[in-house]
Amino acid sequence: MSKKILIAMWVLALLVSLSACKQQAKEETIKIGFFGALSGDQAVWGQADRDGVILTIEQINAAGGILGKKVELVVYDDKGDQLEAVNAVKRLINEDKVVAIIGCNSSGRNIAVAPVAEEGKVPVISTFATNPRVTVPEPGKVMKYTFRVCFIDSYSGYVKAKFAWDDLGARRAAVLYEISSDYSVGVRDFFKQSWAELGGELVADEAFKSGDVDFRAQLTKIKEANPDVIIMPFLYKEVALSTRQARDLGITATFLGGDGWPSSALLEMAADAVEGSYFVNHGDIDAPNVQEWREQYKKRFNKDIEINSIMGHDAMIMLKAAIEKAGKAEPQAIRDALENLKGVEVFTGVINIDPETHNPVGKAAAIIAIKNGKFQFYKQFEPMK
Amino acid sequence: MIWQQIVNGISVGAVYALIAVGYSLVYSVLNFSNFAHGDVLMLGSYLGFFALTKLGVPFGLAIAIAMLGAGIIAMVIEKIAYRPLRLRRAPLLYLMISAMGMSIFLQNFTIVTIGPNFRTYPDVLPTKPFAVGTLSIGRLDLMIFIITVIVLLLLTWLVYRTKIGIAIQAAAYNMRVASLMGINPDLIATMVFLLAGATAGVGGVLFGMKYTVYPWMGVLTIKAFIAAVVGGLGSLPGAVVGAFVLGITETFAAAYISSAFRDLFSYLLMTIIIIARPAGLMGTVAQEKA
Repeated sequence: MSKKILIAMWVLALLVSLSACKQQAKEETIKIGFFGALSGDQAVWGQADRDGVILTIEQINAAGGILGKKVELVVYDDKGDQLEAVNAVKRLINEDKVVAIIGCNSSGRNIAVAPVAEEGKVPVISTFATNPRVTVPEPGKVMKYTFRVCFIDSYSGYVKAKFAWDDLGARRAAVLYEISSDYSVGVRDFFKQSWAELGGELVADEAFKSGDVDFRAQLTKIKEANPDVIIMPFLYKEVALSTRQARDLGITATFLGGDGWPSSALLEMAADAVEGSYFVNHGDIDAPNVQEWREQYKKRFNKDIEINSIMGHDAMIMLKAAIEKAGKAEPQAIRDALENLKGVEVFTGVINIDPETHNPVGKAAAIIAIKNGKFQFYKQFEPMK
Repeated sequence: MIWQQIVNGISVGAVYALIAVGYSLVYSVLNFSNFAHGDVLMLGSYLGFFALTKLGVPFGLAIAIAMLGAGIIAMVIEKIAYRPLRLRRAPLLYLMISAMGMSIFLQNFTIVTIGPNFRTYPDVLPTKPFAVGTLSIGRLDLMIFIITVIVLLLLTWLVYRTKIGIAIQAAAYNMRVASLMGINPDLIATMVFLLAGATAGVGGVLFGMKYTVYPWMGVLTIKAFIAAVVGGLGSLPGAVVGAFVLGITETFAAAYISSAFRDLFSYLLMTIIIIARPAGLMGTVAQEKA
């Protein structure tokens, strides 16, 4: 009996693998991998990243593909977890045999994934990982296969300090940050550095751990310190909870956040608490050059874009440019092309990759204000000199 | 600032207390930790949320729906995940594993059916806190504290003054002897899960109102579990005392030592208690549980 079943299973397996072979032979495609948080805390962004990539690929395919070949996307959910991200990238490289990978939105996960990409020799383009260590783990060393399409935390920290000093007229600043997040710690460090250079006073420097929901102990301390501005470099769920609790405790300082803020979920969850706050972002979803694509996105996915959708688009355009420059869809060639990529126009600016750091240089940040319960573009910030 | 921090600590402790009694109640009778308790809380939170937003029922009724719903869910979990193992006299470790499996299942089931988004409870009360001098006391915190006290008093009355409560105590003391006295162990298990589930239901609603609702919020109840251990797992008053001790320790550690290592102090407290008093603050080694 069991022997029969075994034979039946074997035959079935054979048939399946045969049909798989057939399918592969039918049409040669460029296989690209994607990993991101499709569930968990950061699902809003992971899904937006993915949808931005999907729409861009569909448009590329409709226009004839890259080098005459159609692009195929393999998607894995990393649940916002480093281990899952490593597994996803291993699968993409070893089993799916992709030529390049797009993902993800988090510095911590990209830092974890970088050595895997190095080992598998497949380039990874991160959409939103802003910590310098993602591409440069230590001074003088660059992760050969890791790239990004976004600006980095040193710039973002600088913008926050400069903006708070010049535009908000703040002199006393407090920081609340997430100690278990490479992104949050990075922005906090660079903010402190820039703030000290400007001559600002840091009156409180408080931390919390990922998953925390109660920040009253830290906020009470911050209230005592009486800052003009509170820097909050973390993600929208914690932003919503901490700003609400801060207002409940009677804190009136201006909140200044980063690229973890922009999500319609923030406005729903935080309601009035974030009114009058500002955050530093990679771009402006209301910018004129994005609007046509935004309409197509709305039609395709039946929801509005997030800033991550744009970053997903930009990463895919960057990858397309690299493959075209390489002239073949082969991981090593794509990597080499990425390293010296210049003048690629994307929604958030022009991509010029610095071969020393694998960062796009000279990208500008957008300052977004929250007014009347809406995100409003406030101003474009100068690139750091 | 110290008074504000005490208020903060108590407001955290009140929520922990409500969740911790559920852990203790189950442990007292069945001698294992129901790690799916946090997920019952999560489901209760969703029930209350949907009752308020989709059905538009008044707040009191929403709490009642969440309590009843979560109680029934906990009962069903006991029936399918624990009872078959218990009847086969499986080691307690297997019950624990079954609980973890249940927890993972419930979380993922919720992500698939309801979605991974965070949801915010509608404001039942005016959100502006009372200001007493420089002290700020949230209306919500005050209400949570009052509801917690009421629920805990009700539970105490039920366990110490009613017939079924005395049966639960007897079962907690010694299940086998209790069953010789005509107490049906299955019925007791059902009752215990119903009660624990109901407290998790109200805890979920309050937790959701204070913070937010999402499918993996159950993992946060690990703090409530620590509170139950600190107080003496299996002891109801212990769970309450442990919850407030933990809430205040955590808040003070964050405020006066280092906010970066707040959780370190929670675990440190638990470790010290386990070493110094293995049965917890309120427990005795050969304790009378429940």
